[in-house]
Amino acid sequence: MVAGPLRSIWLVVAAYNEAAVINVVVADLIKCGHTVVVVDDGSTDGTGAIARAMGVIIVPHPVNLGQGAALQTGIEFALRHGADYIVTFDADGQHRACDVDVLIEGLLKNNADFALGSRFLGASVAMPLSRRLLLKAATWFTRATTGLHITDTHNGLRAMTRRGASKIILRQNRMAHASELLHEIARSGLRYIEVPVTIQYSIYSLAKGQRLADSLKVLMDLAAQRLHR
Amino acid sequence: MIAQIGLSILLGGIMIYAWAEYSRAPAIGLIAMLVAAAGLYFVWLPKHATWLAAQAGVGRGVDLILYVWVAINLLVILNLHLKLRTQMELITALAREIAIVNARSPSTMR
Repeated sequence: MVAGPLRSIWLVVAAYNEAAVINVVVADLIKCGHTVVVVDDGSTDGTGAIARAMGVIIVPHPVNLGQGAALQTGIEFALRHGADYIVTFDADGQHRACDVDVLIEGLLKNNADFALGSRFLGASVAMPLSRRLLLKAATWFTRATTGLHITDTHNGLRAMTRRGASKIILRQNRMAHASELLHEIARSGLRYIEVPVTIQYSIYSLAKGQRLADSLKVLMDLAAQRLHR
Repeated sequence: MIAQIGLSILLGGIMIYAWAEYSRAPAIGLIAMLVAAAGLYFVWLPKHATWLAAQAGVGRGVDLILYVWVAINLLVILNLHLKLRTQMELITALAREIAIVNARSPSTMR
């Protein structure tokens, strides 16, 4: 079990087979000075062991459940240990650790409960055109179905207050969680803002990213969820 | 007559199944009940089925009943998919609790 004093800003990283980059990502996050939680989502390549050796909190899923499930685990863990602010951060090295404090400042200055990172308000380095078009379509769909006035979707860099995080219950284990989270924000009625962030694409992150076929699966998952209680 | 009784028993079973599923998956339960009720109606009034089939361009009433049966089967498959999702949610909740209990912080590692 976790022991000792824990800071109130918690960074949650959902990681599955990220041994190639997890050390760099965690090292950057440790420099932020906040509590780092890595949810090891049943990795088989030693991701959890690498992160553990760097001195951060590890929450190990016994089996691979998906990024949505891992984020929900990290959020619940942080809430149970008194987190005041929770930031979700991708494990594939696309995000910049310095954007974490920008998100928190955005929450504080605007008295908001959710700060959503937007690569279209900020910058995206080396983003392929196909990915840009896919994200634009997904953003349009999300705006139409949630009523949220957002410029980006499926951006894993986001911050939330304790009150906001308490309203979030992710039931979509896989990639549809990003859309579900926006639906949950809309349903909560709490204040949200978008904050410019930078996304740095790499060959590695693009290989792990979503494709058109994944988008169709996301739509099917969202439709299936609406058919049952 | 024997075929009518057999189909009626099957469709009656589907209606009971749909009724039982209604509380968990209202949309699936309602559609399955309506389709099964339509199937029962056409089994006992095949002339109506033949007339409706002609209107819909299907051909024969028995073909229409066959299509209804296929539709019911697809609904049952969809319902099974939803049940699997529910099972996955339970497994996830269990795995989450195990993960949180087994969490390791730097202080507990020393």
